[in-house]
Amino acid sequence: MDLLWIVLWIMLACSFIYLWLIIRGPSIWDRLLGKNLIATKIIVMILIFASINDSAFLLDFAIIYTLSGFIGIIFIALFLAERKKRRNP
Amino acid sequence: MNVFEIIGNIFIIAGVIFTLFGVAGFFRFQNFYIRILVSSKVDAVGMLTLVVGLAFRHGISFFSGKLMLIIVVLLILNPLVSHIVARSAYLSGHEVNDPPEQS
Repeated sequence: MDLLWIVLWIMLACSFIYLWLIIRGPSIWDRLLGKNLIATKIIVMILIFASINDSAFLLDFAIIYTLSGFIGIIFIALFLAERKKRRNP
Repeated sequence: MNVFEIIGNIFIIAGVIFTLFGVAGFFRFQNFYIRILVSSKVDAVGMLTLVVGLAFRHGISFFSGKLMLIIVVLLILNPLVSHIVARSAYLSGHEVNDPPEQS
């Protein structure tokens, strides 16, 4: 078990902890925060996996995932802000 | 195990420790706003040191260049998203009354 494999498993454990928070999270905002953190963890896992296999093309996946994932979260947050306003003006 | 590998391993271990701090900090605070402040900041630092450690392991190469690009993108986007989430939470009136501080 090389160091990078151990780190990969630790990152996976962290993301499962955050997943449990998403389920338990008192408010929807905690869930959004959990998604953001899991996204970062996934990116780090992709990078570690690319470093293990020494395959540079995996990094492009990480870049694209970063951009699309974060843009998604931004619009979810904006939508949630608008939804609360529309419900009780 | 040349010098670069050793330095890289040290950075990777430090990054993992910071990430674990982020998880610990996450459960330490019950208030949403403190939680988002702590976890996103510590998470960004943990990710930064870990990816720098990875870049050290690969020395000067195309791989490390891409890693640096990913670091830049992440360092720009991570605070941005945290700010937007916290701001829209605050604007939509998400008051969180702090639990009585256990002494």
